Amino acid sequence: MAPKKDTKETSATTKTKDTAVTASAKKTTKPAGSATTTTTKVVTKERKEKVQTKALKAKQRVVRGNKLTRNRKIHLKPTFRRPFTLRLQRQPKYPRRSVPKRNRLDHFAIVKYPLTTESAMKKIEDNNTLVFIVNIRANKPMIKQAVKKMYDVEAEKINTLIRPDGEKKAYVRLKADHDALDVANRIGII
Amino acid sequence: MTRIKCSKLRGKKPDELQKQLTELRQELNTLRVGKVTGSGGAQKLGKIRNVRKSIARVLIVTHQTTKENLRSLYHGKKYKPKDLRQRKTRAIRRLLTPKEKSIRLKKVQRQQWAFPQRTYAVKA
Repeated sequence: MAPKKDTKETSATTKTKDTAVTASAKKTTKPAGSATTTTTKVVTKERKEKVQTKALKAKQRVVRGNKLTRNRKIHLKPTFRRPFTLRLQRQPKYPRRSVPKRNRLDHFAIVKYPLTTESAMKKIEDNNTLVFIVNIRANKPMIKQAVKKMYDVEAEKINTLIRPDGEKKAYVRLKADHDALDVANRIGII
Repeated sequence: MTRIKCSKLRGKKPDELQKQLTELRQELNTLRVGKVTGSGGAQKLGKIRNVRKSIARVLIVTHQTTKENLRSLYHGKKYKPKDLRQRKTRAIRRLLTPKEKSIRLKKVQRQQWAFPQRTYAVKA
């Protein structure tokens, strides 16, 4: 018991600022007294433990010293590039639009109607192609898909042009296993 | 063609409405082809308008029911989608709420309670 108390007292005296430790030093001396005599105050076990941990911490701090400076990184290059920081994904608390926008350029809107002019008829017979007037905002892959969905035909290639009156004309060449004439009959062009 | 009525449409289920919509649009497509090929005549050409308006009705009913359901879903919640919030005007939306406006200092509250504006009347 005695040697342990001695180390505590020395550590306490080195740290003059810490009043609590000096108080504990006072406290520690008391039990020494009480060990010999029975008249002094009894120190509870919890109080003793608390005092001991405080003294221990003070001792540790003295040994390691106050860390006032941080570990500074050494920069070997003259440029500073922003380090990678945490980038969180969006977790919206509410959708901005209650209903998502509906696609206004669906296959019904893309293909307007087929052409039935003489030159279009010629194309059907000779070149296995159908000629459609198409929505001007549609592009070739869109037209291909739309025609497939509407009329159940596969297109080999599509050529488009914009007419002087602002409409888009699409020449849809069908694949060899389709017959444009039959398809035209089915649609109702002929 | 019988006239499609909105009241009849509101009873239907959403997938039924979708099916009807695709049917109507296909019909419109065939009518348009007919217009170009010169078949049908006046009756078929007049039908185009009816079909277009029917499509509009189906879309209206679909949209209205979904919006209604969403409003009841978000009712009472703190964060609603922006199109379900009150529109009013941009300036009004940025004003202080009535609760925020009524905040007073404790001192001022006490004063107002202790010394309210009195009204006097002279007895005739």
